[in-house]
Amino acid sequence: MKRYPYFKTLFKYLILIVGLVIFAGPLLWLILTMLKTRGQTLAYPPEWFPSPITFDGFVRLFENLPLFGRWIFNSFVVSTTFAVGTVLSSSIVAFGFARTKARYKFVFFSIVLATLMVPEQITLIPLFIIFKQIGWYDTWLPLIVPAFFGNAYFIFLFRQFFLSIPFSLDEATYMDGGNLWTVYRKVVMPLSLPALMTGFIFSFVESWTDFFTPFLFLQSETKYTISVGLQLLIGIQSQDVPALAAGAFISLLPIAVIYFFAQRYFVEGIVLSGTKG
Amino acid sequence: MLSKIKSGIRQNIMFYIFISPWIIGFLAFFAGPTLISIIYSFTEYNSITPAEWIGFKNYESLLHDPIFKKSLMNTIYFIFIGTPLVVAFQLATAMVLNNEVKGINFFRTLYYLPYLVPTVATVVIWIILYGKTGVINQIIGVVGLGPYEWTGDVHLIKPVIITMGMWAVGNGFLIFLAGLKGVPTHLYEAAKIDGAGSFRQFIHITLPMITPTILFNLIMQCIQYFQMFTESYVLNKGGPDYASTTYLLNTYNTAFKDFDFGLAMAQSWILFIIIFLITFAIMKTSDNWVYYESDKGR
Repeated sequence: MKRYPYFKTLFKYLILIVGLVIFAGPLLWLILTMLKTRGQTLAYPPEWFPSPITFDGFVRLFENLPLFGRWIFNSFVVSTTFAVGTVLSSSIVAFGFARTKARYKFVFFSIVLATLMVPEQITLIPLFIIFKQIGWYDTWLPLIVPAFFGNAYFIFLFRQFFLSIPFSLDEATYMDGGNLWTVYRKVVMPLSLPALMTGFIFSFVESWTDFFTPFLFLQSETKYTISVGLQLLIGIQSQDVPALAAGAFISLLPIAVIYFFAQRYFVEGIVLSGTKG
Repeated sequence: MLSKIKSGIRQNIMFYIFISPWIIGFLAFFAGPTLISIIYSFTEYNSITPAEWIGFKNYESLLHDPIFKKSLMNTIYFIFIGTPLVVAFQLATAMVLNNEVKGINFFRTLYYLPYLVPTVATVVIWIILYGKTGVINQIIGVVGLGPYEWTGDVHLIKPVIITMGMWAVGNGFLIFLAGLKGVPTHLYEAAKIDGAGSFRQFIHITLPMITPTILFNLIMQCIQYFQMFTESYVLNKGGPDYASTTYLLNTYNTAFKDFDFGLAMAQSWILFIIIFLITFAIMKTSDNWVYYESDKGR
């Protein structure tokens, strides 16, 4: 009877390790694959460990696709701008919903929430036609500009957070001769840094991992973001598995690094959105 | 009195100033395009020559379009087979991670990671794993099965795509984890005193208490499948023989391969109606199976 809890813990770890194989195994395999020689990846039965460890996959990747570095740079520029735009605009709009008294506030907020439900594709093709007409096709503008007009999800998220900041601070700011704009800049924004960080990281990841929008709007290879470039790589180098793996690895590395350093913001985002409501 | 009215007006004006980015964005990127897409769905439009009004012809022609029907059936396959599997897997993962054992954060961190992998990179990873001489064929070869042509087989490609989605369940299980943490522990204690084992505790306490989370994740997963494009396109361009062509991929082909923008927008609207109906159906039936704590008094 005394040994029972011990076995229970052991069993728990056993299941956790099975899960680890499922979730981390494919990533580990990717890393092993990119360090192999081409011959090793074609071997049957498969060879588990690279021997010798080689970075030739990376070399061939950059030789055959010299633009690969450019695509990563492009992704950084697009995703950072996208994230800054999203956080800035969404926080201003959310502030309006959280901190002003207005008659039709509820009506507008309901519309914000309703837009969350509507699938993007409805607007995608007409947007394509519009953007083409105004000369935005094959530029980054369709990927970036919409971010500066507020994202419904983050408006909702930030509003929840702003509401938790005591209103007495607003009064104090007015006493000191400030106005609503001062409240936004000096009170609400500094106190909401965790929520804003969450918003920044999530929108950065969203933009970085997005394939469809850049795929739809970008034509010149020099303007590609990493996801579209990687897709091109699959077509060109499907036979060169180590190079393919190296490309996939590079594309996910920045996100993984951000994740390991800013982990708490990822969990916070879920808690903030208060899914129970 | 007057100053109060004045401040009220000012508050109203300030409200509109603050939300003005959203209003402009809503009109320019949402309401406008939506309106345009309704109108164009009744026209024949190839983006070069002017649109021509053809009434309901686009909608009618979809009834006799075998590829449209196939793409719709594929998406329905994902909704009805993929969604329950993925959501059940999310829940199972959350249950596994809900143990407060030493080092659990290490496991949580790594289990979540696949969710952040760019979809195209996810497809690359699984192309490698599902390859002819890949690890998966090797593993099933041990028990004498295969090797299969996973991504080139009409019957296998949809299950392959579902498993790719199951790998990236990070967000779903985090939401379940939050739901599981919300179940009051005194319920489990009471059940233990009554002699209920783990299985019965799960059926009679855990499941009913997290039904709101299940509902949320079900709807999110359905919407995700309705919007699925990247997996199908990157994996095998919707093939073989359209077996993995999703609804959105077909709409994309209609617009950008056949240059039939009017027909593509008609498809978008039908999709919108289908999504609305399915969400509505789930919400409607949810009255019977979702338990909200605030209803306790009834």
